[in-house]
Amino acid sequence: MAFIHPSSLLPSSNPSYSFREGIKSSAPGIQEHRFSPYADNGGSTLGIAGKDFTIIAGDTRQSSGYSINTRYAPKVFRIGGDDDSGTGAKIILAVTGFAADGNALKERLDSMVKMYKYQHGKDISVKACAQRLATILYSKRFFPYYTQAILGGIDEEGVGALYSYDYVGSYEREQCRAVGAAASLIMPFLDNQVNLKNQYVPGSGVGHDLKAKAAEPLEQSHVEQLVRDAFSGAVERHIEVGDGLQMLIATKDGIREIYTPLKRD
Amino acid sequence: MANPMSIIGKNAVAIACDLRLGLQALTVSNDFPKIFQYGPDVFLGLTGLATDVQTVSDLFRYKVNLYRLREERDISPQTMANLVSTSLYEKRFGPFFVNPVVAGINRTTGEPFICGFDSIGCIDFAKDFIVSGTSADQLFGTCEALWQPDLEAEDLFETISQALLSAVDRDALAGWGAHVYIVEKDKVTKRLLKGRQD
Amino acid sequence: MADRYSFSLTTFSPSGKLVQIEYALNAVNQGVTSLGIKGKRPSSLATLSFQSKSNLLSATNGIVLATEKKSSSPLIDPPSLSKVSLITPNIGMVYSGMGPDYRILVDKARKVSHTAYKRIYNEYPPTRILVQDVARVMQEATQSGGVRPYGVSLLVAGWDEGIEPPLEGHDETGAGRKKTEETAATTASPEIETDAEQKLRKSGKTGGVLKGGPSLWQVDPSGSFFPWKATAIGKSAASAKTFLEKRYRDDLEIEDAIHVALLTLKETIEGEMNGDTVEIGIVGSPADHLLGYEGVEGAQGPRFRKLSKEEIEDYLTNL
Repeated sequence: MAFIHPSSLLPSSNPSYSFREGIKSSAPGIQEHRFSPYADNGGSTLGIAGKDFTIIAGDTRQSSGYSINTRYAPKVFRIGGDDDSGTGAKIILAVTGFAADGNALKERLDSMVKMYKYQHGKDISVKACAQRLATILYSKRFFPYYTQAILGGIDEEGVGALYSYDYVGSYEREQCRAVGAAASLIMPFLDNQVNLKNQYVPGSGVGHDLKAKAAEPLEQSHVEQLVRDAFSGAVERHIEVGDGLQMLIATKDGIREIYTPLKRD
Repeated sequence: MANPMSIIGKNAVAIACDLRLGLQALTVSNDFPKIFQYGPDVFLGLTGLATDVQTVSDLFRYKVNLYRLREERDISPQTMANLVSTSLYEKRFGPFFVNPVVAGINRTTGEPFICGFDSIGCIDFAKDFIVSGTSADQLFGTCEALWQPDLEAEDLFETISQALLSAVDRDALAGWGAHVYIVEKDKVTKRLLKGRQD
Repeated sequence: MADRYSFSLTTFSPSGKLVQIEYALNAVNQGVTSLGIKGKRPSSLATLSFQSKSNLLSATNGIVLATEKKSSSPLIDPPSLSKVSLITPNIGMVYSGMGPDYRILVDKARKVSHTAYKRIYNEYPPTRILVQDVARVMQEATQSGGVRPYGVSLLVAGWDEGIEPPLEGHDETGAGRKKTEETAATTASPEIETDAEQKLRKSGKTGGVLKGGPSLWQVDPSGSFFPWKATAIGKSAASAKTFLEKRYRDDLEIEDAIHVALLTLKETIEGEMNGDTVEIGIVGSPADHLLGYEGVEGAQGPRFRKLSKEEIEDYLTNL
């Protein structure tokens, strides 16, 4: 093939955010077309666990390459609610990556949690739900959900719980986690401000003798502000993040949602 | 190889870099500064291919020395920025693999100045901060969240240090301590940050 | 014997002269007289804070370049002839000697100010740098094969950004600022202060901040160049310089400098003096009306501009 069709130069020929893979030409006159089952829809989520609450937040932009599909597509969901609006739910799931897989995963976990309630006559614990989510992800070990999930709620001691996952179900309980397109921007900020990494007690020594500041549980209002700061920073520097910020806050009283607009440029 | 960054404050600028030198995952040196001084208050940070970092820093040493001899004056950060830009663009089709950062104070106006470049000399005149290197993403995040306008010298030092250390701790290819320069009118303070040694 | 050396440009005569260069100077000394006068540098401003200073200086600072425009025939259309030329927005020049050679040098000066400077640093060269570059062009014509020296001397006037050097005997400006820093840092003992002062005197030469303000240079066919407060070149250079020595003062305002320039020219001029026969260029405050646009923040008009026929005639009536 001597002539390169202009469409092969467009961003849509890049397989990372399209169902179509780039056109390959293996021999002159022969073009190979392929379908990819995955796409990347951008966006970012984060979670922070407090003493008696967990906040999970995500932006609401959904994009394909340089195009914005919609400015309001939630990535943070209530799991195990009594109805479609999620009333009565106690667990929060956030997913980034491939939006269709994220939705499928949310639906599946939601029904699993409901089934648990019907069969056991009680709400599932966050710990059990976290394990259940891991098994769901691992069950698709060889055709994974293309999503990075975080799960949060209040644990059996009444303490904020947060779990983060890789694509195939490897998971860990953490204090805070940023996931998705702007994870690399947000995560070091959370290390610094939530776990007080690199912060030392002034005058407590020189060099490595300095005493590190111990991380203490943060106030809920303070954490809300950290989340807002993290996202307004990410919005400035990452094109896939923006439009709106959805914050779900789990406490012993259930889940409260706060929506605030983000820059739409 | 890891990253210098510079940020601007009130009548002051800061420029900092980590100290790691590596070949992909292999750490070669943990004492490899990437900031070079070209006048009483003009600094250049260089990231990228180590051989080019050394070549380019030496090239500017030569160019700035000649400038000083010919003009009998020190180069201003703005002039330095344009010199860097034109020198890089000379190699438009065989570039040096470096992403420079310039920081300094203009002695005539007293104004602080920072800017960054791509490898062929396109200048990014930023009013707040410039980041460069393997931890650029992380630095964008920390700087965007921690930076605020009109930071005084001491707060500027704290801000750039926290931003740099937190960022390189999330980058396997950067770290091993850092150098921080705080440039004020007629005063330059250089500090060594120990940082994580792993 | 002398003839043997006089035709090869690059051969020294036994007395150590390159006679072709002497001949070129003869061509200059037959040329129409041109002169330059540097205007006032107000000493009161030396004590002002260093940010505001550069702006204030521009108001009264300046240089004037003047020459006679002689036409060999009454049929010549005078406005189309021009001897004072703009090189960069802040630098201009005038000549005595051979007109065609001068035009080549103007072209080369304008070109070299871009190739050797603006395209590298994105700013115009300081006056001394431009003078050096033009002088190099002229010097190369004294050492290359197949060429002859330029038959012109130039007067180059320019204004540079930066802080002005302090006047002798006055309180030092940029230096004074640094001095307080140093004394504060060392809990002043007299010895240390003297050391610091000496250091500053040194740094005054290469320190970078002390380089702004107006300057006036002469460049000769040999490629040598000299800074002047006021000078003249061409046919009546000697008498004009004697006149200038009498009339020049350090605190000459630019208006007065133009006046002195015209008086000097009057002594040497052969024909009538009017807006057609006198040409004047000045380095003064930024001429924003010459920008061709307005409303762009930070844009500054050229400091070098030529006076119009009407302006010159205004000055002449007040002579």
